[in-house]
Amino acid sequence: MSIDVNQEELLKPGGAVEQNIVFESGNEMAAYAAHQINYHIMGYYPISPSTEVAQFLDGMKAKGEHDIVLIPADGEHGSAGICYGAATGGGRVFNATSANGFLYMLEQLPVQSGTRFPMVLNLVNRSVSGPLNIHGDHSDLYFALNTGWPILMARDPQIVYDMNLIAIKLAEDPEVRLPVIVSFDGYFTSHQKRRVQVLKNKEDVQKFIGDPPTSFPHALDRENPVTIGPYMNEPDYINNCYQQSVAMYNAEKVFERISAEYAQLTGREYPVLDLYRMEDAEVAVFMLNSAAEVCKDVADRLRLKGIKAGVISPNMIRPFPQQKLAEVLKNVKAVTVGDRADSYGGYGGNMAIELRAALQTHGNVSTKVINRIYGLGGKDFYADEAEQFFLLAQEAAMKGIVEKPFDYFGHAPGKTENAPQRVLNPMKKEDLNTGLITVTPDEKTGELKVKIPPLRSLTKKPKRLASGHGACPGCGIFSGLELFFKGIEGDIVALFHTGCAMVVTTGYPYSSHKATYIHNLFQNGSATLSGLVEMFHERKRRGELAELGLSDDYTFVMVTGDGGMDIGMGPAIGTALRNHKMIILEYDNEGYMNTGSQLSYSTPMGHMTSTSSVGSFQNGKPFHHKDTAQIMAATHIPYVFTGTEAFDRDLLKKAAKAQWYAKNEGLVYGKILITCPLNWKSKDELGQTIVEAAVNSCFFPLYEVDRGITTVTYDPEEKNKRINVSEWLKLMGKTKHLLKEGSQEMLQQFDQEVERRWRQLRAKHESPYL
Amino acid sequence: MSRLPKVNELGFFEIRLESIGGLGANLAGKMLSEDGVVGNGLNGVGFSSYGSEKKGSPVKAYIRFCDPETNIRDTTPIERPHVVGIFHDALLKTIDCASGVYPDSTILVNSQRPPDELRELMKINGGTIAVVNATEIALEEQTKVNTAMLGALYRILNFLDPDSMKDTIRRTFEKKYPHFVEPNIRTFDRGFHEVEFMTFTPDEGSMPRPFKRHEPVLGYETQPIGGTVINPGNSILKDLSISRAGMLPHFHDDKCINCAACDTACPDFCFVWEEKADKRGRPQMFLKGIDYQYCKGCLKCVQACPVEALTEAREYNDGYADRNRVPHLFDLAAQN
Repeated sequence: MSIDVNQEELLKPGGAVEQNIVFESGNEMAAYAAHQINYHIMGYYPISPSTEVAQFLDGMKAKGEHDIVLIPADGEHGSAGICYGAATGGGRVFNATSANGFLYMLEQLPVQSGTRFPMVLNLVNRSVSGPLNIHGDHSDLYFALNTGWPILMARDPQIVYDMNLIAIKLAEDPEVRLPVIVSFDGYFTSHQKRRVQVLKNKEDVQKFIGDPPTSFPHALDRENPVTIGPYMNEPDYINNCYQQSVAMYNAEKVFERISAEYAQLTGREYPVLDLYRMEDAEVAVFMLNSAAEVCKDVADRLRLKGIKAGVISPNMIRPFPQQKLAEVLKNVKAVTVGDRADSYGGYGGNMAIELRAALQTHGNVSTKVINRIYGLGGKDFYADEAEQFFLLAQEAAMKGIVEKPFDYFGHAPGKTENAPQRVLNPMKKEDLNTGLITVTPDEKTGELKVKIPPLRSLTKKPKRLASGHGACPGCGIFSGLELFFKGIEGDIVALFHTGCAMVVTTGYPYSSHKATYIHNLFQNGSATLSGLVEMFHERKRRGELAELGLSDDYTFVMVTGDGGMDIGMGPAIGTALRNHKMIILEYDNEGYMNTGSQLSYSTPMGHMTSTSSVGSFQNGKPFHHKDTAQIMAATHIPYVFTGTEAFDRDLLKKAAKAQWYAKNEGLVYGKILITCPLNWKSKDELGQTIVEAAVNSCFFPLYEVDRGITTVTYDPEEKNKRINVSEWLKLMGKTKHLLKEGSQEMLQQFDQEVERRWRQLRAKHESPYL
Repeated sequence: MSRLPKVNELGFFEIRLESIGGLGANLAGKMLSEDGVVGNGLNGVGFSSYGSEKKGSPVKAYIRFCDPETNIRDTTPIERPHVVGIFHDALLKTIDCASGVYPDSTILVNSQRPPDELRELMKINGGTIAVVNATEIALEEQTKVNTAMLGALYRILNFLDPDSMKDTIRRTFEKKYPHFVEPNIRTFDRGFHEVEFMTFTPDEGSMPRPFKRHEPVLGYETQPIGGTVINPGNSILKDLSISRAGMLPHFHDDKCINCAACDTACPDFCFVWEEKADKRGRPQMFLKGIDYQYCKGCLKCVQACPVEALTEAREYNDGYADRNRVPHLFDLAAQN
């Protein structure tokens, strides 16, 4: 992965140890450090922009470059659980996450710090949001402030590497014994390739970090059984918290000790505060991570003009270096604190509030503090903007008063003439109710009889989604979804989970949804829509919707990818068990395609993704695909089906049935297999051909479960269309390796599993009792 | 060691690549920055614009080079490039690719058009325009546009050694895709040799072209609270034709049996239908044509068509799509 830079022409790195120079990004450097540390366990879950850390480690693992056991979790909460459990086992544990994923694991973090099990978590900073934003700011980081984890900051890829080596040593130090966060900026640092010096030999890394201390209890020592995590009420609990508080404050001096050791080794020194031209500074800017670097260039420029400007950027914000900050600001007339996240209602971002507290605590009443919230959601922070921050400080220094202590920076009012106006009229009811699709229960058996017209007639029906969405060419999601929607009469209210379909249809200020649509994060869409369904029925019962001209009930559809059925499995099952009148429609493209093709549980065995790499030591995904349809069938909901656009009439009928069940009986779950040409590494035009082959190979059988009774709706064997799985696999780049020599065993294992599941399904088809 | 021909006030030589996702500008940017640093002894940084947009949407890649001793602190996008590489001239329709160029910057365009026409299109005064038909080269060599563009860029960036880039190409492909190495080296060489230049002297006293930062259409006074979009379906206002990477479907009315297989297959809802009387005088749906404004050229429809009513074709600068576009008749809200 890492590329060595030719060093002949460069200055030799300082320090006592032999070093290399590589050219890589922040994410790569976090992974590089982790592989040198050779952690025991990483439990992870994909989320931008931190996902690459696991990807790089997986790539290195496939080449045999480290021994870290990489465990793909079902969600960040699960990943934090894996990490916590692993940490109680006394070995070394690593993780990386961002934003909402971090918040999803938040509950676990105080558990780990409170029970004092060290590990290292790389928090690749990104905005925590609704409306969804995947770019860099510090709103996730600010949620970390109260978790009890020491937090190290890394302004560029070099520091990411260095802090990762320091972090594990800090976490394990007997005076600290706390899990540690290394924080760096999403995209700005995580994705920018830079020249970085690294320790050349793993042995030197090992020598620096040392063996993990063995003097602490852990869960794998049979001669010393322990109870980890008791039930602890007052008066004991506060004493545990006090111990933790002391350990946290210890972390500052321990960091200084380790940092000095590291400086000797590498020539790179990290004081608690990174200070730039602060010796005689009169005005300063305080900022975390990458944007502080931009300010340094500006300070140089201002110095040429005779302005005594400096920059403060802490290398550690937990514990907060209160005294050191008070010391450095003693002679500074004014400082502008840039917070890359707000603490809504607090009259300042967290850093400004804490800096003001530091000054007050240490008796400094003269330094003026100006606070600006900037750069939210990845908004770039340019040098000319940094200059304005210095000017704010200068102005306050001159006037001796801060006119506006708190404000936003970089927000814009917009022009009235650009205010949004409706572009399309709502779809007409009569167009959506074609009357061409009918579903009638048989009077005696109750069995549903479905009539559908030729697809040609349905071209008159308006499409629910508008053209102009930003999906990749040949994306199978939209043809699949629209075919399903064609089978539904009347109005739909849709909720889309986070995923490709959501992201490409709602890039603000655009939306490709002609009818009402809601998004929620992809662990929770089923629950969210079930809430709306019940609100609809209750408001209708109370007569509140009459005035809105509602003549028919909505059909409520929750659209999710296969990833959303991993992380959202719990709420989906809860929704199924409560049997709400709605449809869960899963588009399965066999991976987390929105974040760059990581494996999901639905990824079939052996398939290559960015976290199931192919190499001498690994051959794609090591375990079998999840059978979500059968899991949902086991909840005994009224209707479960599978479908693909390659069998259009089959899917259309199932859509019509799904609507009937969702209106009359309760929850429907359906899975449609759709092509992702980009990550399946297949030709754009072959979308239908590939999913057709998946059906004919019996990997993806078309069937339905009506009130517990299974019917195979298309049997490739009966039609004489059955093909070997290899005929399907050869159509995709991601599976080419499975057809090569050396993969026979895995291919056979996969083939047998496909056959076993198919035979089992056939048996269910034969018997109403299975 | 390489010497940079010119640098800005912070000591950087800056390159901006303008592309659409899928043409490989991100990878080209990575390879270029890597080769400058690893193979040519410079210091540098490479990064891309990252967003939710997928293959087929506009993307940018940025590369900064400086002397090995220069410290890199700037993480912001490049606004004043010394060199711009435009991976697809269709971008010029919707994006100001030349924004912020110096009067003597070099702009490389993947195009079939002559330099003076491109100069008109980009509204630039002076500087050098380099043209290479990278799409043609990539289609012929079964590779991607990016390596051809890199070849052409190495003619422009004469402080970098083309042989070291060939090593970078080898290193990039040989492990995972060894069969791509030779075609990519050929593609690089062809880009290097086939690029053509024309230099325009700027008018007396002409200033650097100002860079316009992206400004949002809405703001805090006009944005409905909570981010709610109150005019959904407005994505029909977008033009996605730039997503096509050289191919598009042709529709042959006379062969169409109106089976709607194309309508089912199309991810972008490009097929336009109208209701007419059939032979027996009954109302029936007939396929009228393709709304090329949304067609990304995936050709799924060609594959799905059971007859030969849809065929695949190369897209040239001959206005075919504009001439043959059958626009959707949307039910537009009255805008007063």
